[in-house]
Amino acid sequence: MFQFILSGLAIGAIYGLIGMALSITFYVTRVINFAQGQAMMAAIMVTAAIASAGYPLLLAIVAGLASACAIAVVCYIVAVRPILAFDRFSFGWLVSTVGFAVVVENAAAYIWGPTSRAFPQILNETGIHIFSAVLTGQQLLGIGAAVSFAAAFELLRKRTLLGKLAMAVAADPEMASAIGANTTAFAAAAFAISGLFAGLAGVLIGPSTFANPYLGDTYGTYGFIAMMIGGGTEKPLAGMLGGFLLGVLSEGANALIDSRASDWFPFLVLVVILILTPKGLFSSGKWRFRLRSATLGRA
Amino acid sequence: MRSGTETKSGERSESAAVSSNWFGDWPRAPGYLVVIGYLALTLLVARSSLNVQSVVLVAAVFGVLAISLDLVAGMLGLYSLGQGGFFAIGAYLTAIAASDYDVNVFLPLPVVVVVTGLLGMAIGALSLRVSGLYFSITTFIFTLVLTVLATDSTITRGTQGLLGPVFPDFPDALAPLGAPVAWCAMLALLMAAALVWNIRRSPLYPVLLSIRDAEPFAEAAGVRTSLVKVAIFGLSAAMAGSAGWVFSFIGVVSPGQFDWSVSLNILVMVLVGGIDTTLGPIVGTAFVTMFPALVNINPWLQEILYGALSIVAITVFPEGVVGLAKRRLGGGSGAGETEPSAEGPSAFAPGGVPISTSGGSTGPVGRADGREVIVECRGVEFSYALGPRVLRNVDLSVHRGHIHGLIGPNGSGKSTLANIIAGRLHPQSGTIFVKGRQVDGLAPSERARRGLRRTFQAAELVRNLTTTQNVLVGLYSEVPGIARRAAIWTMLASGRRDMTSMSTRAEEALGSVGAAQWTNKQVGDVPHGIEQLTQLASVCVAGPDIIVLDEPATGLSAREVEHLAQILTALKSRGVTMIIIEHQTRFLFPLCDQVTVLNAGEVVLTGSSDEVRVNPTVRQVYLGE
Repeated sequence: MFQFILSGLAIGAIYGLIGMALSITFYVTRVINFAQGQAMMAAIMVTAAIASAGYPLLLAIVAGLASACAIAVVCYIVAVRPILAFDRFSFGWLVSTVGFAVVVENAAAYIWGPTSRAFPQILNETGIHIFSAVLTGQQLLGIGAAVSFAAAFELLRKRTLLGKLAMAVAADPEMASAIGANTTAFAAAAFAISGLFAGLAGVLIGPSTFANPYLGDTYGTYGFIAMMIGGGTEKPLAGMLGGFLLGVLSEGANALIDSRASDWFPFLVLVVILILTPKGLFSSGKWRFRLRSATLGRA
Repeated sequence: MRSGTETKSGERSESAAVSSNWFGDWPRAPGYLVVIGYLALTLLVARSSLNVQSVVLVAAVFGVLAISLDLVAGMLGLYSLGQGGFFAIGAYLTAIAASDYDVNVFLPLPVVVVVTGLLGMAIGALSLRVSGLYFSITTFIFTLVLTVLATDSTITRGTQGLLGPVFPDFPDALAPLGAPVAWCAMLALLMAAALVWNIRRSPLYPVLLSIRDAEPFAEAAGVRTSLVKVAIFGLSAAMAGSAGWVFSFIGVVSPGQFDWSVSLNILVMVLVGGIDTTLGPIVGTAFVTMFPALVNINPWLQEILYGALSIVAITVFPEGVVGLAKRRLGGGSGAGETEPSAEGPSAFAPGGVPISTSGGSTGPVGRADGREVIVECRGVEFSYALGPRVLRNVDLSVHRGHIHGLIGPNGSGKSTLANIIAGRLHPQSGTIFVKGRQVDGLAPSERARRGLRRTFQAAELVRNLTTTQNVLVGLYSEVPGIARRAAIWTMLASGRRDMTSMSTRAEEALGSVGAAQWTNKQVGDVPHGIEQLTQLASVCVAGPDIIVLDEPATGLSAREVEHLAQILTALKSRGVTMIIIEHQTRFLFPLCDQVTVLNAGEVVLTGSSDEVRVNPTVRQVYLGE
């Protein structure tokens, strides 16, 4: 019991980081970046390549995170900005971000080959006992990093002028640019931060998955589910909470139903949650207000 | 110079109805030539080698999918990522029925159509609670869940999948026709294309676009928008399911064939080819499916090139290849023409032309005596979600045949009251009666069908349709069976007849409000005043008993306001009741039989124009004295 909750939180931290990465870009640009998983994969591949070439681990990790940020920003410049510039409400980004994901994934496969490569173990080999449960140091590091990054982001969003301007850009780009906000810079920054979150997820999960160019799809999908369960389309932090919930549900299903139940159980939960509350569980503080605005939207 | 007015007598109805389409001339060109050409091509494919067939048939199946997506994405703005899911259901149902139960291969088809159609309607109804992007997300999740189910359940044979049935052979006499499965796939594509082509030429098309671009306008015109959306998505889902039925004869039915990237690829096909065009989805499908066959390089480089090309296509040509061609060829003539100047003497034809109420609509009967109350509000209270009270205990009685003015400072609740009368907002308490019947809880579309129409302060119209086509939306609830007949519209004599009469009525309505010269112009190209008049025409064309006008004179020039007054007087002389919200009292007062003054959500006074004008309270709160 205790074991699956803890290991659920550990994997949930990874899903949550990607879910939050998706939420952050959605929050500012109303775009779901389908190449988010590929940014995570890029961080894993670059870290693995630099570490295996004999450079120090820290340098490899920093380069990995930087490459994820760079990929996310390039994605914005190449695949998102031209679309939104033509029509802010266009759905063309569905196509262009997927196209970008295809390019990144296959470029990685072309450069490093389609098979898995070794990834530095970091803290993966130190076991830590907490009461009856065992976690690796890497898992604990993951939970800690996810919580602190999420908290730092929330502080940035709520307590600084920058964060408030970003909220304004999200709500109404034209109005925000009228009061002097550089909407392009804000959007690019949001993509950079989302890349950082995704890259962090990559570096944290890399020791267990090894470095494989096709990791992006799976983790991107789970990150998307985390965002949707939590309600990350309304509030970035909800993506992180959704991730933790998703992780615990998956591990719980594996422990309590059967060993392959995590393949389908999270999807079932997702469908039920979306039928009950279409905008996700943690999207807004007040239930009453949310129900009421939903009925208004229909009228 | 102005072809629109000159060719009017002969072909105006047809040209008006289709002029916004690239192939505007095609209905007159023999359509059967196109069909014969297509059948000849099919014969060629059916007799060609298996290699050619495997590429072309898969392309045909995806063509059906792309067309099914264009139907909802292009015409309704609903970007479904569930087409792959419905496709999978069709293919799996057929393959399982054939391999496990050994049934005739044609038996699953009606089952597939019904199952996917109903499922599509259910998903549509669920995701209508939240619209736009959430529709895409819901359908995306639907596809994800289906892929997971197909991978993990035993009846679908897991990741391996199962082999579909073999399509039965032709009888010997027909053997020269070649492979029957090729005919099956190619005919499916032809039918899908014909279906959407027909809808695009039916009066349903402007209605669908009005739901996409201006939903309140569509509702106010009596369109049950939710029902139409759900039904069209059901149709689209059934098309995708049928494509799955065809696919089961061609390929292996396994989860990998249907994962979410397939749904996105279908969207790539539609967007690259050109959304909301007849040929676009087919061109896009040809590009995407032929790509691997044409570019024969290292598979990774090939994928990189494909990804890069789709980014370039969508960023450089956001309207798609066919959309771009359409704008270059078709749109050019519209923009290049000399446009009548808005302020010139020709902008408005003289008003007072009697508005047509022919065609069986329930026109108002004679001049009313001014006693009968036709619209009544009793004790209406309203506040927006968490805000302060906007209307407090508002009582309002409007007599049949009157022009009833509604004035008050900004924020006094005039537009809110209009929205409550029209059914867009529902009051927290109080009752609305229309023609003596309580209408609380009735949707705007139902009130429109009872003869209550309204205009909007900012005209809500479809910008890339002509004014005539926009006015056609107003006739939707007046002509029975438009939605039912739309799929085979051009083949029906009644369809062609109705289209002619509807277009004539629409143009007459435009003429009667003085916008006769603008009938072939796209709304996006006409001046503001004409937009307002188009709105008015779309309301008048249905011959309503009651019209609610929300600031009709806003943004009009002095001459246009004068003209508007003439039109409204003409309407009144035919017994139409009007409720007019307006700030320009110089325009409003001479028209009104009664004026109600609102201030801060409360009725200050109801009386004749003269009474209101001299009332000291009104002068204080509204005229600022």
